[in-house]
Amino acid sequence: MRLDALTIRNFRNIISLDCEIPPEGVVIIGENGQGKTSLLEAIFYLALFRSLRGSRDRELVSFGSDGFFVAGEVGQRIQAGYEISGQRKKVSIDGDPITRLGDAVGRFTAVPLAPADRELITDGPGARRRFLDVLLSLGDKQYLRRLSELKAVLKQRNAALRMGRKDEAAAFDGPFATAAEYIVRVRRQWADDWQTRYAEINTALGEAGTSSMEYSPRREEPETQETIRSELAITIERDLAGTTTGFGPHRHDLRILREGRDLRRYGSGGQQRTAAIALRLLEAEALTERTGDRPVTMYDDIFTELDAKRQGYLLDMMKDWDNTQVIVTAPRESEVPREMFDRPRWSINGGKIEA
Amino acid sequence: MSAIDDLNAELAKLPGIGRKTATRLTYHLLKQPKPTVERLASTLRTLAEKVHPCQKCGNMSESVLCPFCVDPRRDDTSFCVVEESSDIDAIEKAGEFRGRYHVLGGRLSPLDGIGPEDLAIDALKHRVEQVDATVEVIVATNPSMEGEATATYLSGVLKTTGALVTRIALGLPVGGDLQYADAVTIGQAMAARRKMPE
Repeated sequence: MRLDALTIRNFRNIISLDCEIPPEGVVIIGENGQGKTSLLEAIFYLALFRSLRGSRDRELVSFGSDGFFVAGEVGQRIQAGYEISGQRKKVSIDGDPITRLGDAVGRFTAVPLAPADRELITDGPGARRRFLDVLLSLGDKQYLRRLSELKAVLKQRNAALRMGRKDEAAAFDGPFATAAEYIVRVRRQWADDWQTRYAEINTALGEAGTSSMEYSPRREEPETQETIRSELAITIERDLAGTTTGFGPHRHDLRILREGRDLRRYGSGGQQRTAAIALRLLEAEALTERTGDRPVTMYDDIFTELDAKRQGYLLDMMKDWDNTQVIVTAPRESEVPREMFDRPRWSINGGKIEA
Repeated sequence: MSAIDDLNAELAKLPGIGRKTATRLTYHLLKQPKPTVERLASTLRTLAEKVHPCQKCGNMSESVLCPFCVDPRRDDTSFCVVEESSDIDAIEKAGEFRGRYHVLGGRLSPLDGIGPEDLAIDALKHRVEQVDATVEVIVATNPSMEGEATATYLSGVLKTTGALVTRIALGLPVGGDLQYADAVTIGQAMAARRKMPE
């Protein structure tokens, strides 16, 4: 996957930017607040058409503007625009308007690594569900569709629960089970398939001891639509009391463990950072396998946070990636690892790029 | 408000018509010969005055009972439940169903405040109970999430009547191309596969 050219208008703190990006990638130097992260977020927007960290579209619009626009050349031209008035999002590929957003998701893939990724480990289960959902949606259209179905069903079911209407809420159990069965099956399968590789990456990044991940809750038997429905039937009284659906994939977690213990509670800052990087690298590998193409990899100021040893391990791993476009940002020249010196260097200042 | 503004505002309330299209339609009408516009006006008036929901099934009709409810040749032991009157047209075109219809007038949607009491569900139950034989109720609500939920709810309500409740099948469109079908539809079609006749 290669991003050859990028156009940004009124996206976060970038007002106007047009640039061509070298095939091997680029190192971008800029102080905080100059637009480094905005640039990477704009790139990521072309993959998912949603913000990287779950912000609303309107929050991505530059202060004082009425909308934003991002376009990228990735072998095809992907364009995305959003207007605050009317809250309209328009996406097109090679000039053809896309009516169902899901059809455009994953045409372009990118994996961002940033210091904030530590939240993948330290935040609640929602952060890790989002990680799984983004990754699986980019590689599997049906997953994205089932996911939006599940969200819609939950809204309906919970609305019925809030009104205290048991039979109406239960009427949505069927559609809920259909979507939930698929989502849980695909998530569990992913966690099982990539478990070994997750441990290997952690070792390669210099973590001694065993690192593992597991989908939670664990189940010996695979869940079927019938078992999900009967579980919903058992828990509906509690759901009515709590006015929300307590059982289902929207409550699950991808647990990240070290020596069998929850890294979220028992890990050091350094261990949590390494685990977050490992998850992102795993995401890149999984996407490569699904799409047959390496995603554009973006490092947002992550070398600053790593000690020399971990930096070295990460850079060693990167050596194995042929044909990967890597975009690196750093606040100062001194923060750029020597191994990156051969890449083109830009600076960014007030949302403008100087090559 | 001028007459032009009034009509623009009325037309813009119609589904699928925005302010721009409404204005275009208004000016189009102004350019037509007067009789044409008057014919449209009187057609609309007749529509509003004459067409009412059928007292039995809820289908839109110009008489108290709709043609499907009065037709003596139709099967009284078979009901087809649809969300809207317009769904009946589609089913009638297929010519496969020869029973009675029942229009719910929508589908369950708790988010929009549409509950069972807003749909003609009690009326359906009552109709089914009136029949002195085993009844089949074919639930032909849309294959959407809300349509499915409505079907499930109906089958719960009809349990006490002893009726056989069936759901129309979901699957691939006839004459379609398998390779262009979406994954969810293929999944449904696989799950609902049937044995080939010997």
